[in-house]
Amino acid sequence: MTTKNVFKSADLMKEMMANYYKAGKAARSKGIPVAWVTAVFPVEIIYAAGLFPYYPENFGAVAGAKKVADQLSSAAEARGYARDLCAYARCGIGDVYAAEHPVGEILAPDLLFCCNTQCGSLPKWFEVASRFYNAPYFLLDSPRVGIETDELCKSYVIEQLHEMVSFIEKLTGHTFDYEKLSEVLAFSNEACRLWNEILDTAALKPAPFGFFDACFHMAPIVTMRGTVEAVNYYRALKEELDERIERGITAIPEERYKIYFDHIPCWPKLRWFSDQFASRRALVAVSQYTHSWAYSFDLARPMESLAENYSHEFVNRCFEYRVKRKINFMQKYGVDGFVLFSNRSCKPNAIGLYAKAKLIREKTGLPGIVFEADMSDLRFFSEAQVLIKLEQFFEQLA
Amino acid sequence: MKTAELIAPFVDAYENPARQVEQWKAMHGGRVVGFLMTDVPEELIHAAGFFPYGITGGNKGLDKADAHLQTWVCSYVRSCFALAVDGRLDYLEGLIVPQTCDTTRMLLDLWNHVRPLPYMEDYRLPRQVGRGSARKYLLNELERMKEGLERFAGHSITTDNLKKSIMLYNHNRQLMRKLFDMHAKNPSLIGNRNLYTVVNGAMVMPRERVNELLVKIVDQLQESLNIAEEDKYLRLVLSGTLLTPLEILDLIDNWGGVVIGDDFQNGYRYIEADVTPEGDPVAALADRQLNRIPSAAYDIEQKPRRVFLTNLAKEKKAHGVIFVHLNFCEPENFDYYDNLTALQKAGFPAIRIESQFGQSTLGQMQTRLQAFLEMIGGEGS
Repeated sequence: MTTKNVFKSADLMKEMMANYYKAGKAARSKGIPVAWVTAVFPVEIIYAAGLFPYYPENFGAVAGAKKVADQLSSAAEARGYARDLCAYARCGIGDVYAAEHPVGEILAPDLLFCCNTQCGSLPKWFEVASRFYNAPYFLLDSPRVGIETDELCKSYVIEQLHEMVSFIEKLTGHTFDYEKLSEVLAFSNEACRLWNEILDTAALKPAPFGFFDACFHMAPIVTMRGTVEAVNYYRALKEELDERIERGITAIPEERYKIYFDHIPCWPKLRWFSDQFASRRALVAVSQYTHSWAYSFDLARPMESLAENYSHEFVNRCFEYRVKRKINFMQKYGVDGFVLFSNRSCKPNAIGLYAKAKLIREKTGLPGIVFEADMSDLRFFSEAQVLIKLEQFFEQLA
Repeated sequence: MKTAELIAPFVDAYENPARQVEQWKAMHGGRVVGFLMTDVPEELIHAAGFFPYGITGGNKGLDKADAHLQTWVCSYVRSCFALAVDGRLDYLEGLIVPQTCDTTRMLLDLWNHVRPLPYMEDYRLPRQVGRGSARKYLLNELERMKEGLERFAGHSITTDNLKKSIMLYNHNRQLMRKLFDMHAKNPSLIGNRNLYTVVNGAMVMPRERVNELLVKIVDQLQESLNIAEEDKYLRLVLSGTLLTPLEILDLIDNWGGVVIGDDFQNGYRYIEADVTPEGDPVAALADRQLNRIPSAAYDIEQKPRRVFLTNLAKEKKAHGVIFVHLNFCEPENFDYYDNLTALQKAGFPAIRIESQFGQSTLGQMQTRLQAFLEMIGGEGS
């Protein structure tokens, strides 16, 4: 569906992201170390230390969206990396060996930081990269957390945050600036607050904004939270949304249903999925994925607060917590059904998904399906099979 | 007594693990706590009075897991889960899953949802092992595990009992290492297949019984030890997460190969290091874990796996290295290229064989393995 108006803010974001990548390329020549980081990582420390944070996962997502994941991956596969590994990792590893760089070259790191709350694929990828680039690597290790706050995990992560600060100090030769960290945390808080207000507009009926819009607008909250630019961006987007609400501009024409979607989108088929839902007048309103960046830091106890927020992120939680969280979102956004993506690149999200779907159907009475594909690699996407699942789902909605 | 007779109880245990449990229950009336291989402190389970039972997976009926675990999930975990779904692990009262990858990280909750057991625990191992925080955390995590087992047992695990269990397991590891040592010196004495059957069979047997048998085996074999043939064999290092199927070893036996080193969780890595019997036993368990042979599950900057493998190949004067990799094992696959490159740079030929639980691809393996062994100088029999 191309009937909706393009967001004015989209231009602003493109410009911001272009500047961000430009800054990344220029960083080394200015003596600013490039630090690889993961999406759910206390990047606030990196910003406060004056390093340039680069997100290789973003590279994998862009390669997916541009439908070249298989091409990049083949260079990794030729070296024995299996096709079953996380597609982001295969794209990142493949790019360094590939003769052509269809999404530009992945930015080489001076040092690498990884937090394993998301998965175990990222640390393995970062280990590989650390060896390839011969750059120091720091793993922020977070044991999995259950329903309640886990003090054991929290204290372990706090201690490691201090180890990480020492690691950075040793490498940069500068004393870490905690005042600067406070400033960065305040920007993060504000950007996260705005981002979640924006996501919440999807609960309006009809809504001006949905999951596929969020996928487009999420780049700054992932890569630039902790900066004033991200705050300014989401302020502008929020204003634009308020204006749209006033003028009655909606995300899809004649919204009839709201849908919950898990988790990462299928990047090379983003438009295809968006059209499938919109043509049935269904707005994909919410996903725990885009809600990952909902941090709230207590400036009075920064390290503790960073540890709580990042180690207790949903992706690092138990089965029961995650089922509850999905149901809470479904209720909050008043959805009519759910579609869960069994993403073979993302085991922590895909394993147990069939049991979760069954449980959610029983608990909520909502219709819901699980489909199989990969977030970036189209070799694992069967349009016919996904369509059958979606047809089943839409029939149940009607 | 011939080797085959000596190791028969281990073959039987490996093939009929349920019988081991039935016999133990009939004799002791106790409870069984299962664990996934093998980074689990069995000594703690044992000291609490339970039978620590290693779930070695299965080769049949993996489709029983299909409703819950996608076909691209690790076949070891799929096979263990399938056993549970099929009611073939009903003799377990408890289960400990060591979190060594994304699949094991997600497994216990799902297992609990489908086949709940009275005692179920995730053992949340630290995944970085080089910094001070890792040891401190692991001590706390082990205390948490200990308390959980104590609650389930209904009594505390005394330091004395834990030390006794540590000594029992140390003795076991020493005996096993002795077997490995004799095997390297006199490959035809035990044979590759038999050696690893002992390790895997032992996982489902009460440790006291294992030690009784091993003492006898070591004694008897010692008498016929003949180190004259040491140089006649192709010396091989094997590497991977889990060694399966054990039939691979028959091929190596038939082709005049001797496995002189490995890093499998169900191989030498399982028995390589003892736990210090002096001092605080929980701290000793933590130290053992942090200093184990490197595996893909952990980030070990101080002892990188590729360096470990290269040194092992050098030290053992290996003719070649065979990676036996489980399909869909992400951590292992991420390490592969760098391990391979390091070995090749050091002049060691290497090959990767892909394997899985449940589906025998022996024909293909045989062809590739044969070609590799011929290349590095095997003559076959």
